[in-house]
Amino acid sequence: MTGRIELPQGTLDLLILRTLLTGPQHGWAISERVQQVSSEVLTIQQGSLYPALHRLERRGLIKARWGSSENNRRAKFYELTRVGEKQLEFETEAWHKLTVAVAQVLEGA
Amino acid sequence: MLDDLRYRARALFRHGALEDELEEELRFHFACQVDKNRRLGMTEEEAKRNARLAFGGHEMVKEDCREARGTQFLELTLQDTRYATRQLWAHPTFAIVMILTLALSIGANSAIFSVINGVVLEKLPYSQPERLARIFLSSQDYPKFPLNPFDFLDFRARNHSFDSMAAFTRGDVQLSDGGEPVRLNGFGVTSGYFRVLGLQPELGREFDFQAEIPGNGLQVVLSDRVWRTRFGADRNIVGRSITMNMQPFTVIGVMPAGTEHPGNEYHSVAYGESVDVWWPFSFAGNSNNRGSHFIEGIGRLKDGVSAERARAEMNAIMAQISREHGGDGSGWSVLIVPLATEIVGANRQLLMVLLGAVGMVLLIACANAANLLMVRASARLREIAVRLAMGAPRARVVRQLLTESLLISIAGGALGLALAFGGVRALVSLLPADFPRAHDIHVSGPVLAFTLLVSLMTGILFGLAPALQASRTDPSQGLQKAGRTTTAGRNQGQLRSALVIAEVGLASVLLIGAGLMLRTFLNLIHVDPGFRQDHLLTASLSLPHAQYKSGEQTAQFYDRLGTSLDALPGVVSAGAGSDLPWSGYDENAGGFTIEGKQPTPHQQFHARYHMATPSYFNAMGIALLEGRFFTQADKKDAPTTLIINRTMAERYWPHEDVLGKRMSFEDAPKKDSDWMTIVGVVGDVKDQPNSSAAEPAFWWSEFQRSERDMSIAIRTSSDPRQAIDGLRNTVHRLDPTLAVADVKLMESVVGSSVSTQRFTFVLVGLFAGLAMLLAAIGAYGVIAYTVSQRTQEFALRLALGAQRMALLRMVLAQSARLAVIGTVMGVVLAVSLRHVFQSLIYGVSPTDPIILSGVVVLVLTVAMIASYLPARRASLSDPIIMLRAE
Repeated sequence: MTGRIELPQGTLDLLILRTLLTGPQHGWAISERVQQVSSEVLTIQQGSLYPALHRLERRGLIKARWGSSENNRRAKFYELTRVGEKQLEFETEAWHKLTVAVAQVLEGA
Repeated sequence: MLDDLRYRARALFRHGALEDELEEELRFHFACQVDKNRRLGMTEEEAKRNARLAFGGHEMVKEDCREARGTQFLELTLQDTRYATRQLWAHPTFAIVMILTLALSIGANSAIFSVINGVVLEKLPYSQPERLARIFLSSQDYPKFPLNPFDFLDFRARNHSFDSMAAFTRGDVQLSDGGEPVRLNGFGVTSGYFRVLGLQPELGREFDFQAEIPGNGLQVVLSDRVWRTRFGADRNIVGRSITMNMQPFTVIGVMPAGTEHPGNEYHSVAYGESVDVWWPFSFAGNSNNRGSHFIEGIGRLKDGVSAERARAEMNAIMAQISREHGGDGSGWSVLIVPLATEIVGANRQLLMVLLGAVGMVLLIACANAANLLMVRASARLREIAVRLAMGAPRARVVRQLLTESLLISIAGGALGLALAFGGVRALVSLLPADFPRAHDIHVSGPVLAFTLLVSLMTGILFGLAPALQASRTDPSQGLQKAGRTTTAGRNQGQLRSALVIAEVGLASVLLIGAGLMLRTFLNLIHVDPGFRQDHLLTASLSLPHAQYKSGEQTAQFYDRLGTSLDALPGVVSAGAGSDLPWSGYDENAGGFTIEGKQPTPHQQFHARYHMATPSYFNAMGIALLEGRFFTQADKKDAPTTLIINRTMAERYWPHEDVLGKRMSFEDAPKKDSDWMTIVGVVGDVKDQPNSSAAEPAFWWSEFQRSERDMSIAIRTSSDPRQAIDGLRNTVHRLDPTLAVADVKLMESVVGSSVSTQRFTFVLVGLFAGLAMLLAAIGAYGVIAYTVSQRTQEFALRLALGAQRMALLRMVLAQSARLAVIGTVMGVVLAVSLRHVFQSLIYGVSPTDPIILSGVVVLVLTVAMIASYLPARRASLSDPIIMLRAE
C-alpha cells in the first residue's frame, strides 16, 4: 500500500460528488476515477463506497437510475441533483479554506 | 427532509426489490474488478481471489448499506419478530395459554369500551349537543319535577341564557287512517322544538308560534316510520288531513329517519327513535293558575353560557314569577341538566364500574403473563447468557424479549377483537330494554384504536419487568448454572409471589362485587312487590276526547268493559286503573286539606293520585288491609270516596283509625260535598322495585273522577295470553274505533324491571369467574415452578427421613400464605371501594360479612386446589431418581 493514503473522515462524500460533476457514473467508475485522478494516491474501499452512495441518495444529493455500462452490463448510475451541486460548491469552498488554513499553520508555526 | 422520508418509505415498502438491486450493484462492481485484474495479466482464478480480497466482507458491505438506507430499525424489528415467532412456535402451550388469557381479557375490555363509547362518548345525534340542557323544577319532595306551561312561557320570554327553548309532554294519539286503529307514541311540543334540537323536517316544516294558540292545534308532524308504514311514504302528504283521536289533523311535516327522542321523565318514553307523531302544544286555560306541572323543558344554551349560569338566571326568574303570582315560592328551584348527563343518567356509573371490573381482569391477566414470562425466562437463562457473552448489548436483549411479549399481546388483542365483535352483540341483547342509546353500540374506529392501545400497553406492562430482569443475567453465572436445576434468584421469587398476591387480591375484589350484585338481584326478585304478577295480563286504552266528552260517558265505558271482561271464560277479575305498578307513573296532588290536621310549614300534604274501577285491586292482587274496595255505588252523585295506601295512612293519621276520615281539595271546605271520605286502606306498591319506600297514595273511584286514559288489568285462572283475543274482541264490540295498546304480561314487566341488575350481575359474575381462573393459573404456575426448582431439596429431605405428608403440607402452606395475604388485601380494597358499589346494590351492605367471608373461603379453597397437584408431585417424588437426575 505504499504511496496510498487513507481518506480523512468526511472527504469521501466530497470526492464522490466532485467525480459526479462530470456526468453520471456507476460505483466502479467512481472508485477508478478517484484513484486515477489522484495519481493512484487515493483509493476508495468498496466497503465505504456503497454505504456512502446510499447515504447520499437518501439525503437527496445524488439520484440513481439503471443503465448499461460500457461493456453492456446492467449497472446503477449515480448523478448529481441540484441540491448535490450546491452542496458540492459549499463543501469545496469549505475544503479550500480548511487546507489553506492547515497549510498556513503547518508552515508558519 | 421530504426526500429522506420518501427514500426511507421506499426502502421500507420495496424492501425485497432494494435488496436485489443492492446485490446486483455489488456483483457488477465485483465483475469490473475481476475484468481489471485479468487485464493486468492475472489468471481467472487469481483475478477472482484478488477481487474478493479487495472487496472486503460482502455481507458487511450490505449491512452498512442497509444502515445507510435508514431502515435498520425496521429490519431489526423484523428480525426480532421472526425470532420471537420461532420461539413461540417452539413452545405452543405457553403461547396458547398466554394468547388465550389475554384475548379473553382484552376482548372483554373492548366489548365494555364499545358500550361506553356508544353510550357515553359518542356525540348525541343533534347539532352541538353539548349546548342542549333539560329544564326541571326541583324541591325537597320532588327532586325532578315537570314545569307548569305558563311558568315555561315566562322562562322562555325572560331568559338571556338560552338561544332557544321548547317544552314537550307525552300525549299518545289514536290513528284511524291507513289501517286498523292504532295507538301511537305522541308528544305535544311547543313551536321551535326541533330547531332547539337542531333537526330539520324531511318534508314540510315544524310548528310555528300560531300553533301554540288554543284552537290551532289540529296539526301534526309525522315520524319517518309512521309516514312509511301507514302512508306509503307519500311525498305529497304535507297538507293532507288525517284522522287522529277522531279529529281531522293536517300533516304539516315529516321528520327524517334517525330523529331521536331526547328522552323524558314524565310518562317517560326512552331515548331513541321511539316517537311516532308530534302535535302542537297549546297554552289553554287561566295563566294565573300555576299549580299543575306536566310539561318538560329543553333549551339550547347560548355559546359560552354554562348550565350553572343558566340555573342562576332561571332561579331569579322563578323567584320573580313566584312573587307576581302571590306564591311564597317555597322550596321550588330550577334544575338545569346537560342533555347527555340526563340521557345516560345512572347508567354512566354502572358502565364505569364495569370498565373498572374488566380493567382489573386485564391487570390480573398482565400479572399472569408476567409470571409465565419469568418462568420462561429462567428456562432460557442459558440462551440469554450466551447472547450476552457474545457481546449483545443489554438493550438488545431487552428489545428482543419485549418484541416477544408485544407479539403475544398483539396476537391476544387481535383475537380479543374478534371476541369483542361477538361479545358486543351478546351485551346489547343482554342490556335492559330501556338502556339509553343501545343502538349506538358498535365495534367502531375508536374501539379498534382502544384495543390496539390496550394491547400495546399490556405487552409492555407484562413484558418489561421480566425482560429487564432477564437482561441482568450474569453471563458467566448463567452459563454455569443453566445446565443444572437451580433455585431462582431471591428477587425473582419475591416479584413472582407479589404478582400472585396482586392477582388474588384483585380477583377477591371482583368476587366480592359479584357477590354483592347477586345479593342485589336476589333481593329484588324476592322483594314483595305489593301485587301479584302471575296470571296477570295488562293493556292500555285511550278514549278520544271527541267521543267521550263527559265523565259519565267515560265511566259508563269502563263499567261496561269491566263487566264484559269479567264474563269472559278464564277471567277471574278484570278492572281498570289510571296506571300500572312500575310504569313510571308520577301524578301528584299537593296542598290538600286533612280534616283536623295542619301541615308543617313548607311541607304541604301531598300524595300520588290514581283512579280505579271496583275490580282493579282484585285484578292486580293488591291487598285490602282495612275497609272496602270501590263498588258500583261510588258514582257521580254519591259522596266522594277514597282508598289510600298504608304509607299514606301511617304518615298522615299515625296510630289512628283512618276509615271515615276526610280530606278535601278546597282551601276552606264547608259543605259535605267538599269532603272526600276514606273507605279503604290497601297495601303499598313501590314506584320501582328498588325504590326505598312507597310514596303516600290515594285512589279515586273511576266512576267519580273519570279518566279517559286507563290501563286494563285482567287476572286469569290459566295462561293470561289466552285472554288477549277476548280483550281485543270485547273492546272492538264496545267501540270499534279504539286501539288496544301495550298488551303485556305483568310477569315480563316485572322481569324487565330487574334487567339492569341481572345485566350487572351476569357481567360482574363473568369477570369475577375469569379473574378467579386467571389467579388460579397464576398460583398454580408459581407453586409448580417452585416445586420443580426444589426437587433436589425435596429428594434430600425425603432421603433424610422427612414425611411425605409434611412435604405436602409445606408446599400447601406456601400457597396458603400467598392466598391469605392476597384475599386480605382484596377485602381491604373492596371495603375502601364501598361507595362505588353503594349506588348499584339493594338490600345488602357493601361490607356484608357473609359475602366477605364467603369470598375468603372460596379464594383459599381455589388456591389450595390449584397448588394441590404440584404439592402432591413434590411429596411423591422418589429420592433416588431425583438425586440421580442431578
